[in-house]
Amino acid sequence: MAAPLALLLIVAVTIRALLFRSSIADLISERVEVVSPLNAWKRVVEGLALLDLGVSPYSGDVFHETPLVIYLFHFLVDYAEVAFMLADGITAVALYLAVRDYNKHVFRKQKYALEADRYPLDCLELIRTPRQMHYIPLKVAMFYLLNPFTILSCVAKSTCGLNNAVIALFILSTIRGSALLSGIFLALATYQSIYPLTLFAPALLYLLQRLYIPVNVHRSSFWVFTMQYVFVFLGSLSVLICLSFFLLGSWDFLPSVYGFILSVPDLTPNIGLFWYFFAEMFEHFRLFFICVFQINVFFYTIPLSIKLKEHPVFLIFMQIAVISIFKSYPTVGDIALYMAFLPAWTHLYRFLRNIFLVSCVLLACSALFPVLWHLWIYAGSANSNFYYAITLLFNVAQILLVSDYFYAFLRREYHLTHGLYLKRKDGTEATLVLK
Amino acid sequence: MASCCSLKILTILTFVLFHAFVESNNFEAKAGQFISSGHTNNWAVLVCTSRFWFNYRHVANTLSVYRSVKRLGIPDSHIVLMLADDMACNHRNPKPATVFSHKNMELNVYGDDVEVDYRGYEVTVENFLRVLTGRLPPSTPRSKRLLSDDHSNILIYLTGHGGNGFLKFQDSEEISNVELADAFEQMWQKRRYSELLFIIDTCQGASMYERFYSPNLMALASSQVGEDSLSHQPDLAIGVHLMDRYTFYLLEFLEDIHPASTTNMNDLFKVCPKSQCVSTPGHRTDLFLRDPGSVLITDFFGSVRKVEITMETIHLPSPIEKVTEEKKYAEPQTEIHAYVDQLPVAEIIHQKPRLRDWHPPDGFILGLWTLILLVFFKTYGIKHLKHIF
Repeated sequence: MAAPLALLLIVAVTIRALLFRSSIADLISERVEVVSPLNAWKRVVEGLALLDLGVSPYSGDVFHETPLVIYLFHFLVDYAEVAFMLADGITAVALYLAVRDYNKHVFRKQKYALEADRYPLDCLELIRTPRQMHYIPLKVAMFYLLNPFTILSCVAKSTCGLNNAVIALFILSTIRGSALLSGIFLALATYQSIYPLTLFAPALLYLLQRLYIPVNVHRSSFWVFTMQYVFVFLGSLSVLICLSFFLLGSWDFLPSVYGFILSVPDLTPNIGLFWYFFAEMFEHFRLFFICVFQINVFFYTIPLSIKLKEHPVFLIFMQIAVISIFKSYPTVGDIALYMAFLPAWTHLYRFLRNIFLVSCVLLACSALFPVLWHLWIYAGSANSNFYYAITLLFNVAQILLVSDYFYAFLRREYHLTHGLYLKRKDGTEATLVLK
Repeated sequence: MASCCSLKILTILTFVLFHAFVESNNFEAKAGQFISSGHTNNWAVLVCTSRFWFNYRHVANTLSVYRSVKRLGIPDSHIVLMLADDMACNHRNPKPATVFSHKNMELNVYGDDVEVDYRGYEVTVENFLRVLTGRLPPSTPRSKRLLSDDHSNILIYLTGHGGNGFLKFQDSEEISNVELADAFEQMWQKRRYSELLFIIDTCQGASMYERFYSPNLMALASSQVGEDSLSHQPDLAIGVHLMDRYTFYLLEFLEDIHPASTTNMNDLFKVCPKSQCVSTPGHRTDLFLRDPGSVLITDFFGSVRKVEITMETIHLPSPIEKVTEEKKYAEPQTEIHAYVDQLPVAEIIHQKPRLRDWHPPDGFILGLWTLILLVFFKTYGIKHLKHIF
């Protein structure tokens, strides 16, 4: 499978290189759907220029990247295009390897379950074969690299590509089973933007499962491992923060990066839900609603972990989706990451109910974003309500997509334990509903 | 015979003299009455207090009075025109830069030379009262001041939406009749007017002059307390009512006045009877010292100058003294003017790539790479170490 992957990488690099050399690269890097105040390339250049002038880049409201990004781009600013293409390539390869290992893991679990006769006889058509699963990793890499959202994000040189690379490496190290690397990459991802903190729970669940430690609060082995993992995570996070302190010699980056993400002072329109709401919020209630909105991102971890504790990789997928929808400054690059996982769940196709609706709405909204932006800002005949309506619809479609996959996954699991053709007590056909 | 003739001549003479005397007295009385008003300058304060497009008629009212007053001679420097909204350049005006008073766009009262002194949000109760009483901040320009003195006749015209005892300004504040009466009393005590004519065209307008108590005030209103002043006619192309009835008929009345006309106030009181106006116009003259029949329209609406013709020559001294001009020949300027160097051109042409001024501290680089190496070896085992070293 190395050759098709290499070919895919070459194709992806070619597309990106062509777009980098064309005239629309500047146009794309200005679009608010693709860049946000957190990860715009313009701001990185601005921050580095401020640093050259001897001023802290965090003074003023320009630069909201972490100091490690300063360090990275201090040397790479002339080769930024290559760096972002490399980041995309690393993400794709990491996802490829991760999904390949995950498929092996899934197949092994399935083999054990079949040997233990745990599946009812009529759901044999739900069993996955290696033949089906052979091309999934390549499809995952392809979905990531050739996704228009990813290409736009790369051409705009948004540092979202770097964040995606770190998260992909985290997923790879988790699925490989290395707790140390997993903790370090998770700390790095959390250090970049706070939200990957919610990926702590699924990573922990997966590593426990892999080491055959039962998830039982009364067992000491559970606590031993959890403490180790927590120690690795917190230790590396604190090391990263201290290292960042030593880069510039001040703690300025904490309010500029984390304060900015959490308190959302910049209300530039983007594809998220925060800006419109807070543009019309009275000052009196602002703190309350900031807390509500931020808790909303982190809140879904607990019920989802409880429900999906046997399936932590699906939980990772759902968490990344929840982060991309509910974070304070989402961009299309975040969406591209969880969409890359969709080929891994092709076996759920027969249970998905809203694919047509969701895909139509996503396509229509993606097309309408620039149209309504133009009507609002340039033509002056629309207003922010129009753009926010499309944002809302886009997010609703994403939520529908994610919940649809959730329903399909749970339904398949139910069928695997209770049989495919369900009957009620009186013998008539029953249907399953997600409550 | 001679005594009889001389007696006849004497009687005729005395008769003629007496007649001449009486006539001269009459003439003087007439002339005295003619010039008894005692004012030497005229001012006008014309205020429209309502904004928004559907109050087009109030702006048209004010502008038509402005037009008449200007036509009859009061110059812009003696008119304080306050318009609370701009109808001529409103987005909804299908004929921009025009304000019509008659339907079918017969008369454009906006014209070419309107000078609005207070516009938009500057028309407030506070500004109006400050204009009347003269208590304006020192930075106020002359065009925004009422610089009247004790020989001034002032015309004050207010229009807008009003009620019993108040007039609404800008949809957000009101002026009450008590405030207005006190303002006029201040003006009287500060000798800011000789005679004042107050015209108001609002609903229940008569309530606004009920509280006046200063001398030499004459007031007219378009409707009594409890009555509404109605608007005259809409124009279907513009889509709003163009004028109020009272001011429409007032404008028609004033169009017949010219600077030499002798129409007096009694004719003004007859403008717009109930048959035409639907509301009953009212007036108040008890505070006015002269008989209204002897007050000319042009005493308030125009700026008619009293002219005295004389046949004698008057020698005026020459005010200009001949100033001897001394030209001083200054020394020719010898300094050479040159531009300061704007840009360091030489450096720009041969520009080298900019050196990065900032470098990350060495401790940071060392720490980071040590950590990366540590993690690498921890993950992949120490056995790779010997391949590196």
